[in-house]
Amino acid sequence: MTLRDDFQPIWKLLLKWLWLSFVVFVLMAPVFYTMYISFNELGFGAKIYTFTFQWYINVFSDKQLLTALGWTMILAGITLPIVIPFGLLSAKFYKKSHNKVWIVFVLLSPLFVPADILGSALLVFFKNLNKIFTFLSDHTGLYFLETWFDLGIMTAVIGLIVYTLPYVFVVIMITMARYRPEQTEAARDLGATAWRAFWEIEFPQIRAGVFSACAFVVILTFNEYTRTSLLKGGFDTFTSVLISQMLNTGMSEESYAMASIVSLVAIIIVAVILISTSISKEKLEKQTRRINEPAIK
Amino acid sequence: MTIKNSIEVKNLVKTYGDVYALKNVNLQIAQGEYFVLLGPSGGGKTTLLRSIGGFIRPDKGSVAINGKNVDNLPPDKRPTSMVFQGFALFPHMNVSQNIGYGLKIKSISKDIIDEKVNKMMNLVGLSGLSERMPNELSGGQQQRVQLARALILENDVLLLDEPLSALDAQLRKDMCIELKRLQKTVGITFVHVTHNQEEAMSVADRIAIIANGELLEQGTPREIYSNPKNKFTAEFIGEKNIFKGKVLDFNKKLINVDIIDDTIKIANLNYDIKTNQEIYLSIKSESIDIIKKNKIEKSISKNNETINGKVSEITFLGQFVRYLVVLNNGKEIQVRTNHEVKGLKLKDNVALCWNIEDFLLHQN
Repeated sequence: MTLRDDFQPIWKLLLKWLWLSFVVFVLMAPVFYTMYISFNELGFGAKIYTFTFQWYINVFSDKQLLTALGWTMILAGITLPIVIPFGLLSAKFYKKSHNKVWIVFVLLSPLFVPADILGSALLVFFKNLNKIFTFLSDHTGLYFLETWFDLGIMTAVIGLIVYTLPYVFVVIMITMARYRPEQTEAARDLGATAWRAFWEIEFPQIRAGVFSACAFVVILTFNEYTRTSLLKGGFDTFTSVLISQMLNTGMSEESYAMASIVSLVAIIIVAVILISTSISKEKLEKQTRRINEPAIK
Repeated sequence: MTIKNSIEVKNLVKTYGDVYALKNVNLQIAQGEYFVLLGPSGGGKTTLLRSIGGFIRPDKGSVAINGKNVDNLPPDKRPTSMVFQGFALFPHMNVSQNIGYGLKIKSISKDIIDEKVNKMMNLVGLSGLSERMPNELSGGQQQRVQLARALILENDVLLLDEPLSALDAQLRKDMCIELKRLQKTVGITFVHVTHNQEEAMSVADRIAIIANGELLEQGTPREIYSNPKNKFTAEFIGEKNIFKGKVLDFNKKLINVDIIDDTIKIANLNYDIKTNQEIYLSIKSESIDIIKKNKIEKSISKNNETINGKVSEITFLGQFVRYLVVLNNGKEIQVRTNHEVKGLKLKDNVALCWNIEDFLLHQN
């Protein structure tokens, strides 16, 4: 995409870039400000700015924050291998289906339910499910069933799957839209099994979308507060610790440092995905153009 | 000597909801034959091809290849290879990886794959392009890669689904020659789907006309072109001179047909007809002579019929000149000649004349 057409004066182009830069600045200013504070020895609100790495060093000795970070990573780690295949299969089903509108409606519906309502609905659902499983364990002697739907990792993961699946579906679906199913048929015709055709032919072409979806899930897991807080049971996540610190004592300087690290990692991941996606997109567009245009010998 | 059938399709039916994609299709294709399925888009020819290839499971009927029923076999277990419409090359693999992919799946050693890939690249005219990616190839080269990728598996049947539709007109003509040459070289059965009659005529040993899910007729290109049995076939292969008429009377040699305000006499080629029966007549535009009215007496021979009209359009088409003539009943008739008729202008009164055997009668 170009921001300039052939007959546009240069000042209009500059104006567009200025506007774009302003939007990015407004969006990202709070993140950059957090990063700025995280390097101040005297912390937030101080009149004097003294540069230091001390808060970053302290982060690694703040056990509560590190434990919470660990739990968040575990949640993301368990959610990822479940939600990505779900999203992938949903996108494949969507592509083959004739009733596309209904599939989109069903898969995106969790996005239209407010987080606290969906979170409390899941909470009530799990509590009732728990009663059923407790009843089952009492009457069958299978005691492991009793704790199956206790609030904890499993319920938090299910909450995250409900929350992240629509995003994963959309991201993968967009990448998959460019894939031509004749290639899978060609691979099958050449003797490939369905799995091999997917892994060797389709997956390399939708890889960017799958990796983007993975990054999205990790970022959303960090971002999620309401549903996870209601469903997590006894452990703390990174966001819940940050928010409780803010509510009780205000944010600590270590929290600024941790927030900066997380933001920076997220920005780098997204940037890498964007760059690699745009490169492969350009390649693919070139290929599609060649195929669609009448060929020149 | 009996010719062995490569493909035998029996009573094939395929529906999509209420729509019949194939209606009881029966077909036999001989071994080593270049067979073309010709018809308009949506007529069912690709459905038939994909049923043979195993990409579609028909509702009824059966497909046998080399005498063996393949109804329950998936595409990779059938002795067929497919060339897809729009190339379907793997964009992340180079030319030799694309061509060798089928052999790699069969776990053949790399040395043998390399050897066979090189041989196949030479055969289809891709020497020296092994490292190129598909996006670095022209349309014709991409099509050759697809052909090589399909042929390298040495299956008995090659299925080609509109293989030349993405190519420009000149390249399509060149590729037709290439395909025919290739088929002669490898000697296997080719089944080629197209909606382009020129393409079909130039490659086929035999052609089947398919429309609305039905196989209307089949025959050699000459038979289909010169003597179409069906009104649809006559129209589809480019004949615009089709008239609705009614049989007035007939004997063993001649039939008189009323075409509103005019009567046409045609030869009776053993048609099964009745008096007053509604029929269609067709005649090729190149089978009609156009004669300026004042020259008519000396030009017409005994066996010819004439009809009067007025020139409404003259179009120069390079190798041909096309005249559009309006008859007394308002119907237009096309005449194609190899050269311009001297002195003939728009609105001139003309007589059209033809040999009575050139008019064909169709009952549907």
